Amino acid sequence: MSEALQPSAPVLAVDGLSIALPKGGDRPFAVENVSFEIKPNEVVCLVGESGSGKSMIAHAVLQLLPRGVDVVSGTVTVAGQDPSKLDGRGLRKLRGGNAAMIFQEPLSSLNPLKRVGKQVEEMILAHQRPAPAMAAVRERVQTLLTQVGLPNPELLEKSYPFELSGGQRQRVMIAMAMANRPALLIADEPTTALDVTTQRQILRLIDDLRRERGMGVLLITHDFGVVADVADRVVVLRHGKVVEQGTASDVLRNPQAAYTRELIDAVPKARLADIRATIVRPEPLLEVVGLQKTFRVKRGWLQPPREVLAADGISLTLHEGETLAVVGESGSGKSTLGRMIMRLTEPDAGAIRFGGADLRQPRGEALRQARRQLQIVFQDPFASLDPRQKVGDAIARGPMAYGTSRAEAMAQARKLLVRVGLSETAAGRYPHEFSGGQRQRICIARALALKPRVLIADEAVSALDVSVQAQVLALLAELRREMRLAMIFITHDLRIAAEIADRVIVLQRGQIVEEGTTAEVFTAPRQAYTRDLLDAIPGRDFFDQPGFAADARHIAGIESGIDAV
Amino acid sequence: METVRAFLRHPSGMIGLVLLLVVVVVAIIAPMVFPVSPWEMVGAPFTPPGEDGLWLGGDTLGRDVAAGVAYGARVSLLIGIASALAAMAIGVVIGAISGYFGGKVDLVLMRMTELFQTIPAFVLAILLVATFNPSLLTIILTIGAVSWPPLARLTRAEFLRLRHREFVEAALCQGERTWRIVLGHILPNAISPILVVTSLTVATAILLESALSFMGLGDPNLMSWGFMIGAGRTVIRNAWWMSVFPGLAILLTVLAINLFGEGLSDVLNPRVSRRRS
Repeated sequence: MSEALQPSAPVLAVDGLSIALPKGGDRPFAVENVSFEIKPNEVVCLVGESGSGKSMIAHAVLQLLPRGVDVVSGTVTVAGQDPSKLDGRGLRKLRGGNAAMIFQEPLSSLNPLKRVGKQVEEMILAHQRPAPAMAAVRERVQTLLTQVGLPNPELLEKSYPFELSGGQRQRVMIAMAMANRPALLIADEPTTALDVTTQRQILRLIDDLRRERGMGVLLITHDFGVVADVADRVVVLRHGKVVEQGTASDVLRNPQAAYTRELIDAVPKARLADIRATIVRPEPLLEVVGLQKTFRVKRGWLQPPREVLAADGISLTLHEGETLAVVGESGSGKSTLGRMIMRLTEPDAGAIRFGGADLRQPRGEALRQARRQLQIVFQDPFASLDPRQKVGDAIARGPMAYGTSRAEAMAQARKLLVRVGLSETAAGRYPHEFSGGQRQRICIARALALKPRVLIADEAVSALDVSVQAQVLALLAELRREMRLAMIFITHDLRIAAEIADRVIVLQRGQIVEEGTTAEVFTAPRQAYTRDLLDAIPGRDFFDQPGFAADARHIAGIESGIDAV
Repeated sequence: METVRAFLRHPSGMIGLVLLLVVVVVAIIAPMVFPVSPWEMVGAPFTPPGEDGLWLGGDTLGRDVAAGVAYGARVSLLIGIASALAAMAIGVVIGAISGYFGGKVDLVLMRMTELFQTIPAFVLAILLVATFNPSLLTIILTIGAVSWPPLARLTRAEFLRLRHREFVEAALCQGERTWRIVLGHILPNAISPILVVTSLTVATAILLESALSFMGLGDPNLMSWGFMIGAGRTVIRNAWWMSVFPGLAILLTVLAINLFGEGLSDVLNPRVSRRRS
């Protein structure tokens, strides 16, 4: 560490911190002997995969650890105070006063029944003594909302959280965190739930506020792209232990630990994939023409329903063996498109043709037969497996529903499990025994059990850690070559789209704004919107630097990673 | 297995289970301990507890109160459990259809459910029992018919929650048939709260049956707690034991079932059980 560089005292000092997990966990300590410091005006990134204990550290700083999880040794000092020695009153003063925290999911961190202005107000009233005059508080709320870049603060402070977008909610959270000029801001995966463009804006906002006020920032993330964009220093965690720490450029350019290197390599670099589909047949396998869908959301009794345009004349074609990426921000209608093709959501108008046959007509048994050719892998591997169904059954049920005998279907399921990188014994276990990446492999096996010709991957890797993402992507790429699958890859992450797709469609508010081969869209985007999306890729500046030899290592990383899960 | 183990560690749930087992044992061994029918006059009328070999005294006609309480446990438990199961069968079917298919089906079924909910259950039960001949079967069906609406509502809510979960949609895309999706995926994931409410319905069913018997609307051939209280009510000032002992039996049984049901709810609801650990 570099204590000597700055004379000012650290805003956060963590020294030899160990946190014990309750007995029966997968390891005795959530965090073991972790030490680091954050100085004023410094951004320290805590990086690690899920389960590495990074959130535990943040929670320990503000004494927010769940019951049964205790600090067993080490000290935490926040602006000269040890939070564990504070009484209730002192702790309340510290939280939201000198040390503020923002969380990953802004919707669940805001009170749904209170106007956001009131919630910011509460932060000020709870902390400032003597209590300031109401007029002054209101003015301060307005200033804060303006500072975090929210448009029209007068109107916005009267809104309820559900009326705001994800990015706006996170801005409100930041406004609340900033309300009492904290010396330390803890941000626990603040942008993971947001899409790339919003992510960039929020990171930039945090960085600007940090510079303006000279506060220390502890940013927790799993994405080295984010680290490259904002961090001064990095602490890399694995299984609760510090693997490496140092200045951001040192760690990124010259990682000492093999694990750090793996994590950096796993960041999708938006390098164009070099797998090109050879299109044999000229006629498309799947054809979508002029798809139209509007969602009507009821508001009040007297207000007219809000209309959300999810698809406005979408047309696309997909050939055998081809991968088409559909990219766009949240709310652009990309998931609805996938669901409409699967007939999980009924379109208002338009045609879907599969191998020449109309996919919109069939009902009941005919629809069941038609669906066999198309399969979907959903985003959340935790929600898409029945918790009470064994993994083998989950995979075998599909073929069994179409008449395959149980024994045969189970044998095939075991084979598929091996194919996606799990063991045969996985068939007899329940989903909760697997990690997120393993579950997504099971979902892929389940979709492939029916030998579909089209696979729709709806944000299939978005919920996974970066390193696991790379492995699952590699698996998908292999499988599509092997099975000549046509794939629609729905994602908000352009880096991933670049790596896997032959062609890309960019969606904005239900309309296709740009379409072309991956190379065309990424190297010469025609639309400003596409350029915005590309610029927002985290870590782009860093990873695109000449001399950053990511490619060779990157591919090696994927290949060596497949067996690791 | 884990659920069972967690339940064994749940203090109030275990108290409920033990009490309930005591009632069940009493119901089972009643004919062995009291070989004479509870309707038989075995002592002098108004025998106080402990005299003439009648532990809990005799009633106005000299029938053994203890025998009545023991035989009453059989009736109460049988009617309680059978009618709760009947209510569950009706409620789950209606709730499942309503929640899964939605739309007009849901509209019609839910208005029907509301109709049942707006009529006071007890009044409807009296009406039904009075219309049909009171027998074990009609009483069970009657109590079942007035107790299903909460179960239907709960099942519908659970189905609505699970209907669009990704694993259900995945099963749909896998080509599974509707009945398999409902029975194999949605119901097993909705069953915990349904079981909890059903177990609590047993308690209300026992109370309903007692109330019906108290009013003289029970099966005249069955010795029931409610009937005993009803018969002893007029003389409660000089012979308290005739109503107090069956009353205590109802209290303990209902309490036991409620404790058991709540224990079950805590154990089956992972969020609550995590808080306990």
